[in-house]
Amino acid sequence: MSGVLFAEATGTWPYVAAAWVVVFGSMGAYALVTVVRGRRLSKKVPPEKRRWS
Amino acid sequence: MNSCPAVTIMLSDAWLIARKDLKLEIRSRVALNQVIPFALLVLVLFAFALDPDRGLLEKATPGLYWIAVLFSGLLAMQRSFAVEAADGVTDALRLSGLTPSGIYLGKTLSVAVQLLVLEVLLGVGVAVLYGTSITGWLLLLATIVVATAAISTAGTLFGVVAAGLRVRETLLPLLLLPVLAPVLIGSTRAFEAALSGTPSEGWPWVGLMSVFAAVYVVAGIFGFGPLMEES
Amino acid sequence: MTTETVGSVEASDSGPTSTGSRTTMILGIITLISLGVLVLFGLILSPADANQGEAVRIMYVHVPSATLSYVGCFLTAIGSVVYLWRKSRWWELVAYAGAEVAALFTALTLATGMLWGRPTWGVFWVWDARLTSEAMLMLLLLGYLAVRRLAADYEVRAKRAAIVGLLLVPNVFIVRQSVQWWRTLHQTPTLSLSGAEIQGLMLFSLFTGFVSITLVFIWMVIHRFRVAWLEEQVDAEGLDTAIAERRAEGLVS
Repeated sequence: MSGVLFAEATGTWPYVAAAWVVVFGSMGAYALVTVVRGRRLSKKVPPEKRRWS
Repeated sequence: MNSCPAVTIMLSDAWLIARKDLKLEIRSRVALNQVIPFALLVLVLFAFALDPDRGLLEKATPGLYWIAVLFSGLLAMQRSFAVEAADGVTDALRLSGLTPSGIYLGKTLSVAVQLLVLEVLLGVGVAVLYGTSITGWLLLLATIVVATAAISTAGTLFGVVAAGLRVRETLLPLLLLPVLAPVLIGSTRAFEAALSGTPSEGWPWVGLMSVFAAVYVVAGIFGFGPLMEES
Repeated sequence: MTTETVGSVEASDSGPTSTGSRTTMILGIITLISLGVLVLFGLILSPADANQGEAVRIMYVHVPSATLSYVGCFLTAIGSVVYLWRKSRWWELVAYAGAEVAALFTALTLATGMLWGRPTWGVFWVWDARLTSEAMLMLLLLGYLAVRRLAADYEVRAKRAAIVGLLLVPNVFIVRQSVQWWRTLHQTPTLSLSGAEIQGLMLFSLFTGFVSITLVFIWMVIHRFRVAWLEEQVDAEGLDTAIAERRAEGLVS
């Protein structure tokens, strides 16, 4: 079964879903990693050096 | 005497450094004994990879030629800074009072001369081994000159970015090859245009590569100072 | 002296322990709401395109990601220039944060572009001018990040990274120009938003995409900047305590 036939049979929704899952998943994962790293590092740094808090 | 003494000093420093580097290359014979054989080896390997009987080699000559130039040129550039890294020569160079921009231009010049030698040899190599008939001399020569300038100006700048680091052998190709992608595209297309007898299609590429070289000469002249200060 | 340094490190547990602040908290909430709106309009309310069908929905996240990958690249170049000019550590970190977030969005652009190309062209990858220059942008950013993450002295690493970061913009321009010429020579189809004027709900969805993904970008750059800032503080702190310990050892013996 060629790719084009597959696309016609199932429509383009699987690709749309995959694209959105990739985008939201990666952005969420990156945000989570950043926040977790920030929390771990914050414990090691005195508050007067964290100028934003 | 001269209206702009800074430029005169820069150029004379450049000449000094270029002469020193080239003398070093001639005496050490590393380029002769290792880089040039490597370049020829690449040509032979391409012939093994692409069946010579189907005319693929002749058709792909421009691309194969410039890939061979880039890869063997990388070796020459690695060397250009490896010779400085040994025995604290970098410090001596910094203390020598030569202008950083002069050092940059000198190194670029010596790399360019080595590249030109490589390119001539590889040109003979493809003509003989791949049976490519050579036409459009003017465009070919212009491409070689401009592409050499582009590769050596960018190569020298990124060479000093990677110099003196433990990871320099792996870092330089990663930094330099994506940057040189436009030069590879341009020189290959220009060669194709020359060899297929439609040189008018090749000249815009020569222009693009000149812009590239000009950007890197300026970046190198101004960026070499800060880069030489540290480490 | 020694005890004071150690004491202040321990005392840090009392303060807020994250990279968040009131501003980023509010920004984060607005971002999440706008992402919800994007899902609502992009996936549910907007209609399918006459030419592209449902695949047009990929564009609502693809086009903003592509734009922001270039914005991040510019941010890195600006940060690098200001660092070289003023020796500003702050801007050096902005450059780093910008590059890493730009690399993320470049990767997302490539991934969504491929997922759009498969149903539209039948293949994941064509040597289209835009696709190719985006891929080259990714490689250039990876080069910058490789230099920025070197384990070397601060000055060495920062200066070299700044030179590479500064050259990102001219490189991107030359690469784009060369790739465009390269492809137009061969007359292949270029990727465009189907030319047909998009309007109404589709236009609004694309607009929502731009707004929400830009908010995500800003939120990420701020947080990534703060993490990088903390890393630098921890490095400096670690060095200080190590030196202090050494001194203490010397006093005892």
